[in-house]
Amino acid sequence: MRDLAQLALDEAVAAGAGYADARAVLEEGESLSVQDDRVEGVERSATRGVGVRVLVDGSWGFAGTARLDREQIMAAARRAVAIAKASATAQRRAVRLAPVQVATGSYTTPYGTDPFDVGIDDKLELLLAAAAAARGEPKLTLAKASFDAWRTSKWFVSSEGADLQQTLLQLAGGVECIAVGENEVQVRSYPNSFRGYCATGGWEDVVALDLVGQAQQHAEEAVALLDAPNLPPQTGTLVLDANQVALQVHESVGHPLELDRILGYEAAYAGTSWVGIGDVGSLRYGSDHVNLTVDTTTDKGLGTYGWDDEGVPAGRHPLVANGILRDFLTSRETAPYVDDQTRSNGTMRADSWGTIPLIRMTNINLEPGSGSFEQLLDEAGDGIYMSTNKSWSIDDKRLNFQFGCEVAYDIRGGKLGKLYRNPTYTGRTPVFWGSCDGIAGPQHWQVYGTPNCGKGEPGQVARVSHGAAPARFRDVQMGVR
Amino acid sequence: MTPQSDESLLGRDGFSRLADAALDADLGGGMAAVEVLLQREAGGLTRFANSQIHQNVWREDLAANVRVVTDDGRVGVASIHTDDPAAVAQTARQAADIARLSPPDPAFPGLAPMAKAGDVDVDESTLAATPEDRAEAVRALLAEVDQRYEAAGAYRTQADEIGVFNTEGQRSYAPRSSASLTLVVTGPSSSGWAEDGGRSRHDIDPAGAGRRAVDKVRAGADPTDVDAGQWTVVLEPPAVGTLAAYLAYMAFGGRDYLEGRSYAVGRLGEQVADERVSLTDDPRSPHAGGYPVDYEGTPTSTVELLAGGVLQSVVHDRNTAKQAGTDSTGNALPAPNTYGPMALYPIFTPGDGGSTADLVAGCERGLLVTRFHYTNVLNRKETTATGMTRDGTFLIQDGKVTKAVRNLRFTQSLIGALAQVEAVSSDIAYAGEGFEYGCRQPALRIAGFSFTGTTSFG
Repeated sequence: MRDLAQLALDEAVAAGAGYADARAVLEEGESLSVQDDRVEGVERSATRGVGVRVLVDGSWGFAGTARLDREQIMAAARRAVAIAKASATAQRRAVRLAPVQVATGSYTTPYGTDPFDVGIDDKLELLLAAAAAARGEPKLTLAKASFDAWRTSKWFVSSEGADLQQTLLQLAGGVECIAVGENEVQVRSYPNSFRGYCATGGWEDVVALDLVGQAQQHAEEAVALLDAPNLPPQTGTLVLDANQVALQVHESVGHPLELDRILGYEAAYAGTSWVGIGDVGSLRYGSDHVNLTVDTTTDKGLGTYGWDDEGVPAGRHPLVANGILRDFLTSRETAPYVDDQTRSNGTMRADSWGTIPLIRMTNINLEPGSGSFEQLLDEAGDGIYMSTNKSWSIDDKRLNFQFGCEVAYDIRGGKLGKLYRNPTYTGRTPVFWGSCDGIAGPQHWQVYGTPNCGKGEPGQVARVSHGAAPARFRDVQMGVR
Repeated sequence: MTPQSDESLLGRDGFSRLADAALDADLGGGMAAVEVLLQREAGGLTRFANSQIHQNVWREDLAANVRVVTDDGRVGVASIHTDDPAAVAQTARQAADIARLSPPDPAFPGLAPMAKAGDVDVDESTLAATPEDRAEAVRALLAEVDQRYEAAGAYRTQADEIGVFNTEGQRSYAPRSSASLTLVVTGPSSSGWAEDGGRSRHDIDPAGAGRRAVDKVRAGADPTDVDAGQWTVVLEPPAVGTLAAYLAYMAFGGRDYLEGRSYAVGRLGEQVADERVSLTDDPRSPHAGGYPVDYEGTPTSTVELLAGGVLQSVVHDRNTAKQAGTDSTGNALPAPNTYGPMALYPIFTPGDGGSTADLVAGCERGLLVTRFHYTNVLNRKETTATGMTRDGTFLIQDGKVTKAVRNLRFTQSLIGALAQVEAVSSDIAYAGEGFEYGCRQPALRIAGFSFTGTTSFG
């Protein structure tokens, strides 16, 4: 596959590209789903192709093809150059790339057991056992369990001399318990919603989830939610489970700090940002408790790799320090907009051989605070605790958001009490993060995967992660219906 | 040599060669049936922002999805992206191996029988579009946007093909052309939206879209606050398209219906919406962008979902149709499909309300909504969704648009909204949000639409 990337690169340069890079990508996938005692789907997939990206006179062109004979690949490279020339007919400012240390090398995700080496029948046995355990709650309507794995092998070469090979291993597994009432459908997911645990690593990480042991209690909670009251409208103290903090970070920190959004590149589709390019160093994003990083070295993170899809090495960079904005997610094209000395912090990723790299979230982490979860509740006074995302929506500047969770409990006297269904909360980004007055310590900090992050046109879906711990927020509007 | 055309077709013969590689492959003993779904996508997309082209891409992909069924009802699926017949044959063998490892599926309904699918219109000039054709369209719309504003959007031309071939004798093949344009023009305090699209790039008027978006951004300048609460709204076609797509997702899937999770449970035949409201799923319509065949080889059809406000039916694939004791409506997704059948092209039937302007003229006090943003489901069974307005929200007073307002968040049962429809326009326009390829929708005037929050920009 590397030779195919080199072929595309050579042809693009010969056709007139001032800069070119080429990626040859093979992604293998496996997806297993069961419902109750029935196997719903077993699929193996493979997609492979070559994408070539070129700059001609400061304008971009890109072409990708799954047809891997030499003629088709060389035609794709020439097509990319022709497209760049067409781009140049509507150009205001030529693209200038921030410098990068040209790298050669390889990277492989650390793992114990390759999930593709585990038999499909063994995996189905685990999933069927988890679903059966959930059906130990007799009032449960449906029990689902799933497993997914992706192995991405990619080769990157550039006209600057980069020559990189990476193999990334990502996987997901979880249980979904569904209770259907007369006018209600309630769901409890373990260990998280939207395909469960999602991370880089090996099969041992899925085994460690103990899906079978955890299934029944989540099934019982789903059934209990059918008879629970809706969360009443109120404004007060909200403690979020780490899995919901992770999505809060995703929507109200990760996306608005993508520098391409700030520069207007996504204006017509995903939107722009409430943050301006001149806000670094002065904008108060949240309270002093709030420290956020972009970290492509996070253990188990779906955004963990050796180099991004522009050949920029992995690293850890502060985004918000003690509540003050410090940086954006950047690329080689966008970093110079901050100032001439700024380098990319390595967040460019494409979701396949056939798409261009975009600034993506990689691993955007809320750094842990101190103390235990119990202390967080103790100091809450009266309040509400919510866990596990069910719904998300945020405006096109990433200011006004509304989230729904699977489950909520009263907090009274530092203890979780009454159960509520259909909980929601809403707010505005800087006000919400400004109201954060507690984050649990490292012992509660986990990395959560978000496998369905959409961005760009044509649409791309990235698998990204967020490290988070439970956190407490004051004066939050809840129970919107 | 510079490529002259972006999107030529592989054709029925090319598809047949690939499919036969799987259908004729030696899969070992005990195999009862094989299905090959082939999908080719070739298209270019020219993206612009800050009034210049900033991303410009082309991609050609060819995916083979092979489903194999054993004599005792075990099912395996494998897929690969390739144009190599030998690789497709190998994928069929992999699917057979997976099937052998899977337990029998007693609910499996069998593969689709041989059936003739109709045709949809295909535009040769869209298939043959070049990067320069797309750049020319972008330049035409940018010429309408003066220096005070910035334009961002995307112009896409696409040549797709689908083929479903199986051992029951089904050998369906269909090409599809499509094109779309999206545009946001941004000013100091407002933004304005326009979009267009269809099965042909000639359905798109780039300069006209530029003028519409500029009109919106001008009218939207200096927005003021209005309170959240119940408002009469006039929803332009892009906003109506979002309603249609989410309603189809939440209420009309056969699997959700059979599992008791759909709003439609116990309500078939009931009057649930105003009598002015009819909604059909119609992939082959000239106003939609679908194929004449679904992803398991059943011909697509026109399905009445709501007729005169009465809930008529849900959509089925072969699996849910078997469970329901009925026929597939041609709404299958690719195997293995854990979501069930989907109504991918729901279209509201135009009414007798005239234009969007006529709907505004009939409104004493309300809000004109251009489009919604980031809509999401809150409660499937109630069809409750939330989302924001975007790119042009205006106050209507005494039948006239009087001023721009800042964006609002809605939280609303979508079926509940359809019960409060006051008027349906006779004019229709392209709406892309929420669809693989867009549909043309009318505008709606709806009373008592629930807004639950505000934001600080227009």
